[in-house]
Amino acid sequence: MGFSVSGSAALIFVAAFIGFGMFYSAAANSTEMVNDAREDRADRQLERTNTAIQITTVNYDPNYLNVTVENTGTTELSVSDVDVLVDNNYQTGYRTAVEGNTTTDLWLPRETLAINTTVEPQPSGVKIVTGPGVAATEVV
Amino acid sequence: MASVSVSHLILFIASMMIAASVAGVFTSSIGQLSGALSEQGLDVSSDVRTDIEVISDSGADGIYDSGNATITLYIKNTGTERLAADPGELDILVNGQFVTDYTVARADGSGAWQPGTVVRVEITQTLGGGDHRVQITVNGDEEVFEFRR
Repeated sequence: MGFSVSGSAALIFVAAFIGFGMFYSAAANSTEMVNDAREDRADRQLERTNTAIQITTVNYDPNYLNVTVENTGTTELSVSDVDVLVDNNYQTGYRTAVEGNTTTDLWLPRETLAINTTVEPQPSGVKIVTGPGVAATEVV
Repeated sequence: MASVSVSHLILFIASMMIAASVAGVFTSSIGQLSGALSEQGLDVSSDVRTDIEVISDSGADGIYDSGNATITLYIKNTGTERLAADPGELDILVNGQFVTDYTVARADGSGAWQPGTVVRVEITQTLGGGDHRVQITVNGDEEVFEFRR
């Protein structure tokens, strides 16, 4: 009788041990994934709060719209993540230059981004959207 | 005396079998629970990483095309989750009405809706004059866009 009780108890104990191991690893992985995602969101929100842009000039030469935008925030922005909407039409294939440099993808604080896009006829408004979602709009 | 040993052996085997079946049920239940917990963790992290922004210029004309009865919206993926440029990814309500007739396509290229990229959503819906409201939901992230026709 003594062996039956201790043998069964040992078996149940081993099963409980294995079960706890499985549950703990799953719970730890889930918590870690969710915490990583939350940290990522907090970083994004900080980046968005520190982002500011200001449209300095908007000129329309026949067929071409020239816009200069200054990074007045403290985050480094990506030129490829910038979106341009002219009268609510999404622009593609426009030309960009940061302080005269046409190859760079970095748009650093206090630098001015020049955008040149082909538009016809003269539009009434332009909207510039940065990677974090901070936008500026101006009449032409 | 031998009969006592045999009955002890039978009881021992029976108790071990019962303990083994209890242990089996216990570990398989914990296994299923762990699987569900992992999936939920993945879902929650995906929801938290998803962030979208409607970048259409509500101050400009051209949101609603009365000729084709189409609302055109540009939506930017401002999160870090890779989304599909597919109508099944979005739930859209126009003035509180669930709409199903809309197309989703990348505005600045092709392929998936990667972080930093934009999709063009064209919703076929007849609108009267006045103020209108479009609500877009992706992975639990809700964005409301209001405009005037």
